Amino acid sequence: MTQARAVEPWTLEPLERFVAESGARLTLLMTPAGQVLAQYGFTRAVDVMSAAALGAAIVASTGEIARMLQEREFALLNHQGVQHGIFLGAFETPRGRLLALVVYGPDSSVGLVQLFFEELVRGLVAAAPVEEQPQAVLAANFEEELNRSLASLFGQ
Amino acid sequence: MTTQFQRLLDGVTQVRGVQGAMLVAAEDGLVVAESLMEGVRGNAVAALAASLYKRFRQAMEAAAAGTPHFLHLQGEGGTLITVPAPDAILVVAVGVPDMNVGLVRLEMLRAAEMVG
Amino acid sequence: MSLVNFTTREITCKIVYYGPGRSGKTTNLQYIYERVPGDRRGRMVSLATQTDRTLFFDFLPLELGSISGFTTRFQLYTVPGQVYYNATRKLVLQGADGVVFVADSQARQLDENIESLQNLQENLLEQGVDARGVPLVIQYNKQDLPSDLILSTSELNEALNFWGAPNFSAAALEGTGVFETLKAASELVLRKLSEETPT
Repeated sequence: MTQARAVEPWTLEPLERFVAESGARLTLLMTPAGQVLAQYGFTRAVDVMSAAALGAAIVASTGEIARMLQEREFALLNHQGVQHGIFLGAFETPRGRLLALVVYGPDSSVGLVQLFFEELVRGLVAAAPVEEQPQAVLAANFEEELNRSLASLFGQ
Repeated sequence: MTTQFQRLLDGVTQVRGVQGAMLVAAEDGLVVAESLMEGVRGNAVAALAASLYKRFRQAMEAAAAGTPHFLHLQGEGGTLITVPAPDAILVVAVGVPDMNVGLVRLEMLRAAEMVG
Repeated sequence: MSLVNFTTREITCKIVYYGPGRSGKTTNLQYIYERVPGDRRGRMVSLATQTDRTLFFDFLPLELGSISGFTTRFQLYTVPGQVYYNATRKLVLQGADGVVFVADSQARQLDENIESLQNLQENLLEQGVDARGVPLVIQYNKQDLPSDLILSTSELNEALNFWGAPNFSAAALEGTGVFETLKAASELVLRKLSEETPT
């Protein structure tokens, strides 16, 4: 069973190919605000959200530093640890600007991740829909369910 | 520093049929120094050669054969050779299918020795 | 911007707790974190200074459960309140679906509240967002302090609530008003989401 999961299905094929080729352990595709479009390798949705929030924050803050230096941007970032490395890349698609957060271990390398990241970007750019089709979301009486959810959340 | 590394590579690239030589960080798969003919995808070759070397090293170790000293891959369209150097550096060369592998190997070993 | 997935039927929304320094934004999230069962929330991420002041943001992901057949998740963020952290505040505010403004009810903090609200409006405008269109809830925190130190909710409404936003009296340390505030913000965010899309 694949460990990849996509909120936006068009991202799935390029993501799975990227993971297979780069040997990445975890991968997230997200918006610059940290909203996850697709993920590979995480087990809990809430962990995905934390990783995305932190990854987006790194890109956003280095982006600000770039602006202060009148640099275009630091499009690719790599943080090297002992066992793991984190690679962050920002890129434009017809769906808007997206970020990738990749965690890799000793069985891959920053060089491999960087190499196949370029391919991932090409794949995503080719697959991205230009705009989303609006669809109905919530039923008119969603408040009742929301109240129930929140009440159970707070043990009330 | 780069110039010094560049000089090391010159010995390899002077051999007839060699299309490019690189020093590659073995763990990162990133190019440290390169001397390449146009059309050779240095970053891609570096990343993949480092990854291959890592795998072959694991295989050799599993077979209790020590670490590989020399990796020679022969294809229809060309040749890829990888030689480990000290300080987790690899010397990687690409060339035409019928390049003088013996001579290239000699030059690569010499370059590898001088890296440390 | 809320993320809606029609295939897997999931909704993810971002709510940002805004307000002046030490008004109780982090305390709101801490209270929520402590009260919510472990399987319905993620780890609370706090990027704070050594003295526990928020440096970049606090972050708490929540699983609300199923609403109209959609698995609904909320991402709660706080911003650093101190004036000089405006650059990071702007970053955290990006893509917010709703804002909870946590005001400090102490009379001597009134100017800071007003300044922070103006700053919120400016930062939203800079991102091309009209503050009046953003789901906003105001929380008047620290209402448990002695009455001679604080302003009443009606006085605070007068001074701060130009938009007539839903507002709540709170004492976040004890949890009073925290749940009501989050509930109101969630409702506003989801209502806006359902109104934005044709039925």
